Amino acid sequence: MTRKQRRLTLIGSAGAVLAVAIGLIMFALSDQIVFFQSPSDIAEKQIPDGQRIRLGGLVEEGTIIRADDAKVSFRVTDTVNTVQVTYTGILPDLFREGQGVVTEGVIGPDGVFAADTVLAKHDENYMPTEVAEALKDKGVWQGEQ
Amino acid sequence: MIVELGHYALVLAFALTLIQSVVPVWGAVRENERLMAVAPPVSIAMFFLVLLSFTALTIAYLNSDFSVQNVWENSHSAKPLVYKITGVWGNHEGSLLLWALILVFFGALVGYFGTNLPAPLRAATLGVQGWVTAGFLLFMLSTSNPFNRIPNPPAEGNDLNPLLQDIGLAIHPPLLYVGYVGFSITFSFAVAALILGRIDAAWARWVRPWTLLAWCFLTLGISMGSYWAYYELGWGGWWFWDPVENASFMPWLAGTALLHSAIVMEKRDALKVWTILLAIFTFSLSLLGTFLVRSGVLTSVHAFATDPARGVFILVLLCLFIGGSLSLFAWRAPLLKQGGLFAPISREGALVFNNLFLTAACAAVLVGTLYPLALDAVTGEKISVGPPFFNLTFGPLMIPLLMAVPYGPILAWKRGDLLAASQRLYAAFGLSILLTLFTFWLWGMEKVLAPLGVGLAVWVMAGAVAEIVTRVKLTEVGLARGFARLKGLPGSAWGTATAHFGIGVTALGIVASSAFQEEKVLTMAPGDTVNVSGYAVTFDGAAPRQGPNYIEDVGHFTVRQAGVVIAELDPSKRLYPARQMPTTEAGIHTLILSQIYVSLGEPRDTGAIDVRIYYKPLITLIWIGTLFMALGAVFSMADRRLRVGAPKPAARRKAVPQAAPAE
Amino acid sequence: MLLWILIAAMTAAASLAILVPLSRRRTADQQTPTPAADEAVYRQQLDEIDRDLERGLIDRTAADAARTEIARRLLAANERREAEAPRHQSTVSLRTGQALAILALPAFALGLYIFLGSPNLPDQPLSARLEAPTENQTVEELVARVERHLADNPEDGQGWAVIAPVYMSLGNPQASARAYANVIRLLGPTVERVTDMGEAMTMANDGIVSASARSAFERAVGMDPTAVKPRFFLALALGQEGKTDEAIAAWETLLEGADPREPWVPVARAELERLGGTPPTLAETLRGPSREDMDAAAQMSAEDRQAMIAGMVEGLAARLQSEGGSPAEWQRLVRAYAVMGEPDKAHAALRQARDAFGTDQAALGQINATARELGLTVP
Repeated sequence: MTRKQRRLTLIGSAGAVLAVAIGLIMFALSDQIVFFQSPSDIAEKQIPDGQRIRLGGLVEEGTIIRADDAKVSFRVTDTVNTVQVTYTGILPDLFREGQGVVTEGVIGPDGVFAADTVLAKHDENYMPTEVAEALKDKGVWQGEQ
Repeated sequence: MIVELGHYALVLAFALTLIQSVVPVWGAVRENERLMAVAPPVSIAMFFLVLLSFTALTIAYLNSDFSVQNVWENSHSAKPLVYKITGVWGNHEGSLLLWALILVFFGALVGYFGTNLPAPLRAATLGVQGWVTAGFLLFMLSTSNPFNRIPNPPAEGNDLNPLLQDIGLAIHPPLLYVGYVGFSITFSFAVAALILGRIDAAWARWVRPWTLLAWCFLTLGISMGSYWAYYELGWGGWWFWDPVENASFMPWLAGTALLHSAIVMEKRDALKVWTILLAIFTFSLSLLGTFLVRSGVLTSVHAFATDPARGVFILVLLCLFIGGSLSLFAWRAPLLKQGGLFAPISREGALVFNNLFLTAACAAVLVGTLYPLALDAVTGEKISVGPPFFNLTFGPLMIPLLMAVPYGPILAWKRGDLLAASQRLYAAFGLSILLTLFTFWLWGMEKVLAPLGVGLAVWVMAGAVAEIVTRVKLTEVGLARGFARLKGLPGSAWGTATAHFGIGVTALGIVASSAFQEEKVLTMAPGDTVNVSGYAVTFDGAAPRQGPNYIEDVGHFTVRQAGVVIAELDPSKRLYPARQMPTTEAGIHTLILSQIYVSLGEPRDTGAIDVRIYYKPLITLIWIGTLFMALGAVFSMADRRLRVGAPKPAARRKAVPQAAPAE
Repeated sequence: MLLWILIAAMTAAASLAILVPLSRRRTADQQTPTPAADEAVYRQQLDEIDRDLERGLIDRTAADAARTEIARRLLAANERREAEAPRHQSTVSLRTGQALAILALPAFALGLYIFLGSPNLPDQPLSARLEAPTENQTVEELVARVERHLADNPEDGQGWAVIAPVYMSLGNPQASARAYANVIRLLGPTVERVTDMGEAMTMANDGIVSASARSAFERAVGMDPTAVKPRFFLALALGQEGKTDEAIAAWETLLEGADPREPWVPVARAELERLGGTPPTLAETLRGPSREDMDAAAQMSAEDRQAMIAGMVEGLAARLQSEGGSPAEWQRLVRAYAVMGEPDKAHAALRQARDAFGTDQAALGQINATARELGLTVP
C-alpha cells in the first residue's frame, strides 16, 4: 500500500467509527431521553400513553398511603394541579410530605402515574432543580437566588 | 496562630506560583540556564507551603476550632476522629485545597525526580503547571478561602453531610483527585512541548510514567466511588450515569486513550499530533468535571454549596486553559514532522482502533452529560438523559473494542499478521466459546445476550493470559525455561496483560451481576422469611441503637442456606440530628465473589418494615477488576526503563551507527 | 509575635528558593546539554530492541527496521546538539529575577495576607475554650460543655433536665423538645415535664400545636385535670383547628376562677375575645395605664414621659394608700420607685406594704422577694 492509501484507510475507518457513534447518539437521543413535566404540564398537554416522563413537584401532605409488599401511593402537586402516583419499592431517605420529589415512569390510561424510580433530594440543602424551577413558574416557591 | 500560618503559607504559595509561571518559561524560551534552574526548587517550596496550609486546616478540624468558618460549617465536635480528618476535603473550600495540594505535589515530583528530562522541557512544564496552580489558588483566595475566620465563634459546628461520613467516600476523593489532577502534569508536558516546538518519541517516554500514575489513581478513585454509591445510597446499583460520575469517567476514557496512543508515539514517533491533543483533552475534561460539580450547574451530593461567582470563575479558568492550549496547539501542531508509517493491520493499527473507540465512547458520554444542560439553556426544556441512553451508545462501542483487546499486544509493529495472531489466540477463543455455551446451558435461552457477554469477558481475560504465554513461548520452550523467561519479561508487558485481564474481570462482573441478579422488594414482619436465589433471608426484628453522632434503627436479618445459618446482616436507617438527616446503611454479605444485599425502607406501625433484598452474583468482580487494572499500571510504572530519575546506563552506551542501512 | 517571626522565616525560605538557583554559577560538569536527555532515551530503545531480539519477541527483519528508525532519531538529536551554540546569558533577566525574589515576592505576599488574613485572631480549639474558667464562658460554651457530657452519658436524666429549659431560653425549641423527651424517658413523666415538652414542640412548630404536642398536653391533663398550662395549650389548639365553639368553651372554663395576676390570663382573654367570646369579669383586675396613656407616652418628649410616668406612679401610690391593693400592685410600686432611682420612696413603699399585709405570710414573702431582687435592705 502506498502512503496515501494507508492514510485513506486510517481516515476512512475513523470516519466509519465516528459515523456509527454519531448514529447511535442521534438514535438514542431521539428515543431514550425523558422529558420533565410538572403536574400542570400533564393536565395541559396530551402525553401519549406509555411515553416515559419525569414528573416532579411536591409530595402533597397527607396523601402517602402504604400498602403491603412495599407498595406506596402518593400525590405529586405543583399546588395548581395534582397527579396520583403509585410506586413499588423503597423510597429515598429524604422522601417526605411537602418536600420536592422527582419520579420517573409512565402515565396509565386511568391517569395514574406508575413510577419505577423516585428521586428525592440528596441532602437538606438540595431541592431538585427541575422541581424548583417548575414551582417558581407557578409562583409557589421562592427559594434562594 | 497555626491557622493564620496556614493562611499565609497559601498566600505565599500563590505569590510563588506567579513567579514560577513566568521566570522558568522565559528561561526555557531564551535558553537561560539559570532562569530555568529556578523551577525545581520553587516547585518543591510550593509543595511544602501548600502542605503546611493543608496541615493547618487539618489541625483546625482536629481541634474543632470553630473560629475557622470552614470548620464551623462542616464539622462537629462529636464527629469521629476519622471523619474530622476526611471532613477537611468533604466541602468545597477544603477539597479545593486538596486539589491545589495535588497540583503542587505533581509539580514537586517532576521538580525533584525529573533529572532525566532536558532542562528546557522541565522548566517549561513546571512553568505551565504553575499557571494551572496560580489559577486555582487565585480561585481559592478570591472566592473560596478555607481560612476565613469568625471572631466570636459558635460553640458547636454544623456537622458534615452524613452521606459523606463514610469511609469509602472519605477515601475516594483523594484518589480521584490524584487521578484527575495528575493529568495536569501530562497537560503541562504537552503545552511545554508545544511552546518549545519539540515533540518526539522521547517526549512520549518521559510523559508515560506520569500518565500511568494519574491513570492508576483515577481508576481506583472511580472504583471506590462506585462501591460507595453501591452500599451507601441503598439502591443496589453501582453506576448511575450520574453527571458527576460521568465527570470522572470522561477523563478516564480520554486518559486510557492517551496511555495507548503515547505508546505508538514512543515506539514509532507516529500519532504525535493526536497524542498531544489527547493530553490536552484529558485534562480539559478533568477541568470540565470540576466546573460541572462546583458551579451549581448540577445538583448532587458532590455539588457543594453553590455560588454563582464561583461558577463564573471556574468557567473563565476553563475557557482560558482549554482555549489557550488549543490555540497554541493550532499554531504549533502544523510544525510537527510526519512520523513512522504503519499498515492498518499492525500494533499501531490496533492502538489507533482502541483510540477511535475510546474517544467515540467518551464523546457519547460527553454528549449525554452536556445535552440536557445545553437544551435547558437554549430552549428551557427539561430532559433527563439516563442509563438507557448510555447503555445504547456506550455499550455498542465497547463491544468491538473488547473483541479487539487480545489482538493488540500480539500484533507486530508496522505490519501485522492477523491470521498468525488468531492462531496464537485459538485457545482463548475456544475457552470463551465453551463458557458461552456453558452459560447458555445453565440459564437457557431466556437471556440471549448475557452468555455472549460472559463469552466476551472470558475472551478478554484469556487473551491476556495468552499474551503472556506467547511472549515467553511457554508451549515451545517448556515450563522450566518458560518460568525463567517469565521473570525476564519487561514490566510494561506484565502491566499490559494485567490491566487487560482486569478489563475482562470487570466486564464479567458487570454482565453477571446485571443479568443474573435477583431482586425482592417486599414488606416483612418480624419472623418472615423470603427466598432469594436459594438463600432464605429471615427478618428477626428491628431495634434502636445510639451511635456517636447519630441514632439508628437496626434491622437484624439471618441468611440461611439449606437451613444452615451462613450470615447475619444488620442494615440500618440512621438519623443524624445535627442536620436532621436520615441515611440508609445497607447490610451486605459477601459469598466469595457474589453478594447478598439488604437495605431497609420505611418501618410500619405494626413492626413490619419495607425491605429490598438482592442476590448479586459475581458483583465483586467489578471492583476486583479495577484493582487488576491499577496493578497493571503499577507494573508498567515499575518497568525500569521508565523509572524516573534512574541513573543512565552509561557503560552500555553504544556507538551511534554512522549510516543507517537501507530499509 | 511568633507568628510574624515564622512568617518572615517562610518568606525568606521562599525567596531563597529563587535566589540560590539564580546566583549559582554553572559548572561544566553540572549542566546536562539539552539533547543528551533524548539521546539517552534512544540509546535505551536500541538496547531494548537487542533484548527483544534475544528473547525472540521480534524477528530479525523487524529488529533491523526498528534499529534503523531509532538510529535516525538518534542522529537527528545528535546533530541538533552540535548545532546549538552556547547562548549568551542575559544579565538583565537575572537581575529581574533577583528583584522579584527579594522585593516583589515578600511585598506581594505580605500585602495580600494583611488584606485577607486575621493575624490577631488566635486559634480557638474547642477543648481549650471549654476548659476555660466557667465565668469567662458564654452561655453557648456552657451548653456545649453539658452537651459533651451528655454525649458521653446519654442516660443522665438530670443533665437533660438541666439543659432542656436552657435550650428553650436560647431559642432552640427543637433541641429542648428532644431533651425533654429524654428527661421523660429517663426520669419518668410528670405533669410539668410533659407540658414543657409539648410547649417546646409547639414553639418549634412556630406556635402551631402539632398532633404530637397535642397528645403530650392531653397526657398531662390526664395526669392532672386541673393543670392550667396544658389546658391553655389545648384551648389554643382548638382555636387553631377552627373549632371555635369548643375553643370558646375551653377558654371560659380556664378563665373561670383564674387569678388575674397570672401572666397567661391576658393572653387567654385576648384569644377569647378574638374568637368572639366575652371574657368573664374577674374578681380582681390589675388596673394599669390605658392604651391612650401608652400612646400618649410614646409621642411625648423624654422629660414629659418621665413626668407622666412619675405622675402615674404617684397615682398608684395614692390609690394604694387610700384603698389598699393586691401584693402585685405593691410590688409594682416598689419596683417603679427603685427603677426611677428613688430608693427612699422605694423603702417607704416597702414599709407601707408590710404594714398593709401585716400577718399575710404569703403576701409578705412575695414582697420581700421583690425587695431582695431590687437590692433593697429588708429590715
